[in-house]
Amino acid sequence: MRYTKINRNYYGYFFIAPFIIAFLIFGLYPVYNTLALSFTDYTLMTRSGKNIGFQNFQALLADPLFLKAIGNTWLIWMLNFIPQIGVALLLSAWFTNNRLKIKAVGIWRAIFYLPNLIMPVTIAVLFNALFSFYGPVNQIMVRAGFMSEAMHFLQNVEVTRAIVVFIQWWMWFGQTIIIVMAGMTSIPVHLYEAAMVDGATAAQMFRRITLPLLKPILIYIFVTSLVGGMQMFDVPYLMTDGRGAPSNSIMTNNILMYMKFSSSRGHIGAASAVGVLTFIMTTICALGIFFFLRDRDDSNFDKTVKRWSSFFKNKEKE
Amino acid sequence: MRKSLLSILSLLMIASMLLAACGGGGAPATDAPADQPAATESGSGSSTSSDKQVLKVWSFTNEILTMAIAFEGQNPDVDVQFTMIPMNQGEYQTKIKAAVGTADVPDVVALEAAFVKEWVEADFLANLNDLLPLAEELQTYPSVVQVGTYEGVTKGFSYQATPGAFFYRRSIAQECLGTDDPDEVQALVNDIESFLETAETIKQCNPNYFTVGTSGELFNPFLANRAQPWIVDGQLVIDPKVEEYIDFAKLMRDNGYESQANQWSEGWFAGMSDSLVGADGQPKKVFSYFLPTWGLPYVLIPNSGDTGGDWAMINGPLAYQWGGTWVGAMADSKNLDLAKQFVAFVALNEENLTNWATGVYTNEYLKAIDPTVPDDQAQAAGDFVSSQVVVEKITSSFDGSPLYEWLGGQNNYEAFGLAAPNVNGSLLTGSDDAIQRALESSRDQYLNGEIDKATMWQQWLDVLRSEFPDLVLPEPPQ
Repeated sequence: MRYTKINRNYYGYFFIAPFIIAFLIFGLYPVYNTLALSFTDYTLMTRSGKNIGFQNFQALLADPLFLKAIGNTWLIWMLNFIPQIGVALLLSAWFTNNRLKIKAVGIWRAIFYLPNLIMPVTIAVLFNALFSFYGPVNQIMVRAGFMSEAMHFLQNVEVTRAIVVFIQWWMWFGQTIIIVMAGMTSIPVHLYEAAMVDGATAAQMFRRITLPLLKPILIYIFVTSLVGGMQMFDVPYLMTDGRGAPSNSIMTNNILMYMKFSSSRGHIGAASAVGVLTFIMTTICALGIFFFLRDRDDSNFDKTVKRWSSFFKNKEKE
Repeated sequence: MRKSLLSILSLLMIASMLLAACGGGGAPATDAPADQPAATESGSGSSTSSDKQVLKVWSFTNEILTMAIAFEGQNPDVDVQFTMIPMNQGEYQTKIKAAVGTADVPDVVALEAAFVKEWVEADFLANLNDLLPLAEELQTYPSVVQVGTYEGVTKGFSYQATPGAFFYRRSIAQECLGTDDPDEVQALVNDIESFLETAETIKQCNPNYFTVGTSGELFNPFLANRAQPWIVDGQLVIDPKVEEYIDFAKLMRDNGYESQANQWSEGWFAGMSDSLVGADGQPKKVFSYFLPTWGLPYVLIPNSGDTGGDWAMINGPLAYQWGGTWVGAMADSKNLDLAKQFVAFVALNEENLTNWATGVYTNEYLKAIDPTVPDDQAQAAGDFVSSQVVVEKITSSFDGSPLYEWLGGQNNYEAFGLAAPNVNGSLLTGSDDAIQRALESSRDQYLNGEIDKATMWQQWLDVLRSEFPDLVLPEPPQ
């Protein structure tokens, strides 16, 4: 008996072993290797490199293009994340609202999710064609009289950024809706029923019940979106010339990293330094999110339940 | 965004499956020897590839596969494993860089003009100097050898020479310039000054006519006439021709001589078949295109719709070359002798070059050697080859050919043959591609009036400083 028990205790390790092994090989080792490479002047075309300390990092921090790439990445991420979470919260609140009783929620949700299924490559090429000089957008706008003559949309810094922001928003708000809705439907209905009985308005219920109980979900969305946003690559890369044109306005961290990696000599050391700095920046920000949004006492759920139950008790007394 | 890693992974999976499929197409591992014309003596041998010598060839273009099959036809004991990787945004170059020094290193690689110099200047390609006598015998155009050579060591040869030309519409020339005769039109565009005058004439003749699709087409011709390459002794050189080009491009844009469609965009191609429609609803026409040898069969003719016969070709205002595929052997190759033999067959074999240029490699020919070959693998006649000996022998065979008719009765081979010896191959360097793409990006901003000229130079130099930390940069031009 004793042996079987011990053996059973080991089952867990077998079950998690595939993940651990895969993580060590494909997750941890590349991170370690990138870190190691970032201190060298290794290039693909020389196949040799020596340790040069922090020179790669010094060069990067003195490089206006790198600072611009960081600024662009943050700007594009924030401009798409804020409307993304806002629209997702609003639509999810409507879809899960018992009073509105919106029909065919599943179909709407599927429609909003659809853009996510298309390859970013396809979308970038599609928008590039739509906004080209002889493209449909110019043709329609000029013929309908909104513009006096065709313009180079993708030569304009603001328009190009706006297109990238829109694509990122459009591709990802459906995904966010699904997660937010899952979180909202897991909130016990009796809390809302009780609130309704007490005459709470929809806005009050959203602010006092939904938001606090949704916090863990929101933190998850916040952090995963931040991580993804800092690694933004495919859409801005394919949107214009793959070098952040016009005027480096959609040059992101990862595009700069790839540019250094695929430059004529293949500066892996310098490219790794970009990756390491992005990694450090993302980690600090993610930890910051956890720290500032952490639960200050016990779990939110308990807190809200407690608050409402004491509320009921007081009511009963009255 | 969040799923980008996942999507990259799945992309890689799809890509590797495609590659595997392509590799399979080029590697007839299980061919029955009876299907091969030269396999009569191998009756006792098994049909597996285990007793064949394997040669791994990587390319970004399918053309090399055609020659690989022809090579197998002549060497039945060799199995060429062909891998095709597209080079759209530099995947191919990155892939070979990553394979160097590993067990996956190919034996032979194809290198495009945009990056061939990177490799010729590095140490990974084998020394092919012992093939030079073959090149001499075939009178390979000097620029072709020059591009493949660095510090006296030749590491790559090309089967093509790629002098550029100026293709124009006969009907527009007749209507606006009063003549469509190639010699007379050449006189009207003989240098940049007269070219601009002609552009004005065409605009006055019909405001819906553009002289060129985009002034970007003239970037290469201007660069080909510089006195110095981009990089000399670790220092960036901004040749006066570069500044001249920027001013020229601005003039073309501001005066409305170009359609403003980006090169390779739908609008640019639409101009070739007269299907370009402006945003104002007016049909537009484009008078001319600057394209090299390969541009005729691969770009212009397939996109020309029913305008065939209405075209003519001349040298235009500037002599230039553009593109081309070089072939080199990897120094790490385990079959270096065979790899060299393959390079010699592809680029320095009179019979192969003649077959290549005259359309001998039909589907039937290729399928007789390897039945698994794709149906569109055939090589049509007309590619301009690198050997002057071959060119001179076959030029007359193009009189009356479909290409000849398409050009309204001109022998393109003859015209290219006159231009090829004058091409300068000493201006290419390994960093050209990145330097030029960075300048193009700033140039477009300037042409569009988003930034001024000083900002354009500054922005360009800033990008170069980031991308080439060791490069010494000059002060921006005024």
